[in-house]
Amino acid sequence: MKEKTGVSKVMTAREAVEKFVPHGASVSIANFLTSTPFALIHEIIRQRKKDLTIWSQSGIEEIDLLIASGCTKKVVTAYNYRAGGEWASTEFERAVKEKRVEVEDLSNFAVLAMLWAGALGYNFIPVLKGIKETDIFRVRTLLGSDKFKVLKCPFTGEETVVVKGVQPDVAVFHCQRADKFGNAQYWGSIGNSKWAALACKHIIVSCEEIVDHDVVRFSPHNTLIPGFRVDAVVEEHWGAHPSELLGYYNFDLNFRAGFYITNANPQALQAFIKEYIYDLADRHEYVQHIIGKTGSERLSRLRARRRPSSTADYGTANLTVWDDKDYSYELGLTRQEFYKVLEEQAEVIEWETE
Amino acid sequence: MGNRVKIKFTLAEIMIYNAALEVHNGDKVVIGQGLPIVACTLAKNFHAPEAVLMTEAGLVDIDPYRSPLHIADPTCLKGFSYSCDLVDIFTTILNRGLVDVCFLGVGQTDKFGNLNSTTVGDYLNPKMRMMGAGGAPDFGVYAKRVILTMRGGKFVDKLDYFTTPGWLEGGDSKKRAGLPDTGPEVLISTKAVFRFPAPERELTLASLHPGFKLEDVAKDIPWKLKVAKELKTTPVPTKAAIDFIRDFDPTLTAGRKLGLTLALQATLKKQAEIQKRKDQKTGK
Repeated sequence: MKEKTGVSKVMTAREAVEKFVPHGASVSIANFLTSTPFALIHEIIRQRKKDLTIWSQSGIEEIDLLIASGCTKKVVTAYNYRAGGEWASTEFERAVKEKRVEVEDLSNFAVLAMLWAGALGYNFIPVLKGIKETDIFRVRTLLGSDKFKVLKCPFTGEETVVVKGVQPDVAVFHCQRADKFGNAQYWGSIGNSKWAALACKHIIVSCEEIVDHDVVRFSPHNTLIPGFRVDAVVEEHWGAHPSELLGYYNFDLNFRAGFYITNANPQALQAFIKEYIYDLADRHEYVQHIIGKTGSERLSRLRARRRPSSTADYGTANLTVWDDKDYSYELGLTRQEFYKVLEEQAEVIEWETE
Repeated sequence: MGNRVKIKFTLAEIMIYNAALEVHNGDKVVIGQGLPIVACTLAKNFHAPEAVLMTEAGLVDIDPYRSPLHIADPTCLKGFSYSCDLVDIFTTILNRGLVDVCFLGVGQTDKFGNLNSTTVGDYLNPKMRMMGAGGAPDFGVYAKRVILTMRGGKFVDKLDYFTTPGWLEGGDSKKRAGLPDTGPEVLISTKAVFRFPAPERELTLASLHPGFKLEDVAKDIPWKLKVAKELKTTPVPTKAAIDFIRDFDPTLTAGRKLGLTLALQATLKKQAEIQKRKDQKTGK
């Protein structure tokens, strides 16, 4: 088999964020609730990026962290987790109250449809029209009149609600594995990932393992983002902690419980960001810090046990047109005989060259 | 009659049990985070083994072995039948009318089951930010039966923010808006079970949880509450159901706050142990 050639896109999280996340960028978080690209998000925070616009389908901790660290003042989202009632106040809530952040509230399908249309290269796309009855349709902030439009279907005359296609500057995405060319393989909970990544102008992929290209070649059904769309590939073990990644680790409830309680207190949240992000150089130090604090059992008990999927067979009969004797079974001719038939029966063009 | 057995259960457990009863065998169900995950899995393990449970994250035909924190977690499952994505769920399944049941949590509800899960108070100057719409506006409108569960929520005359359509202004107003003539069937609160009977589609008290009186429920409701002709007592969970719930999601049974506090305390205890060991090593 011929070896695939091309430029390696492997780099560190620091290099990828320096290169592809400028101040003021619009950033799409391309994991839906699960497998959150925390290594990349922490790096964005560590580099103290400013004035980002965040496209978040649904978030758990990341929006709170990005707001508290001053990286973003603009968030387009459908959902941001909170652990309970009034006691579980979040940075997101405080920032909205104190007008430190502007939010555009959409439904899951509306955010998705905007990214979906952007990925497809369409200017707009229809959504389910029930949304027209809601304040999500009526109340508009960041997107203004561009939030929804109502059209008449050109075929049926039916009223149709549409959203605009968007193409944010850069996507951050965490997945199980990728090759050095950027072919990113992800399985499990697909969510919005394909559209939230493909919509963007640039894509940064972090993965638990960089694998040989041959692994990708014989499991292309697992490739969610093709290499030619990807700008940077970063290998980060525990890159989604404290969230989960199928095949690698479960979510860390103990860590998260601490975070929710921390998130209710602005000073405690700043201390958390200092301890877990600013004071650590990278993901490796983050993992070592957790192990140092709570022991290695904490992470090792979360590790997935193996349950490989039944493999899809990518084998073929290897039927080449010409066999090793230069005979074609399908044409009933040897290569020499075939060339003769061409001379005699096909339209052959003769041309003199120097 | 003589052998009466005392049974103890938490408010979360009676809610989960009754939510589970709304799932029928063979239903295609979109589950929601928290209580609905537990209720649907309970149903699947007892009376509705052929229910097809799915989440908007594209996990279809799941049977979780423990309760996940959110609906996109594939690590609380032992595999599933169909891996698709958000677009597929909202279009090829929901928009084609194939969702039989969906579960939605209630922040605020009005008398026709229209919901607010976005902000309490003025939108731009809120008293509280709830989790937001998520998939609720679409599932609520297009699922055939909508099951509402309400733990900390409020009944209000007018929603502070209109996130999800229920029966709009009641009667056939949803149909008149050009939308499917389906919507909230039942609301399960910490005190009672309510239904939305045709043709008015107005919230109507159907049963009281044991220990609650009509006035306990009525005082939470700012309008004159409709009460079913035959007011019943809510079915109480079976011993097997309670055991299942405590096995599957102890932090939900305890209430999220208590559950998370326990998890945090466990972490702090571990940290202190390790610190102590370090101190001993360094001879402090």
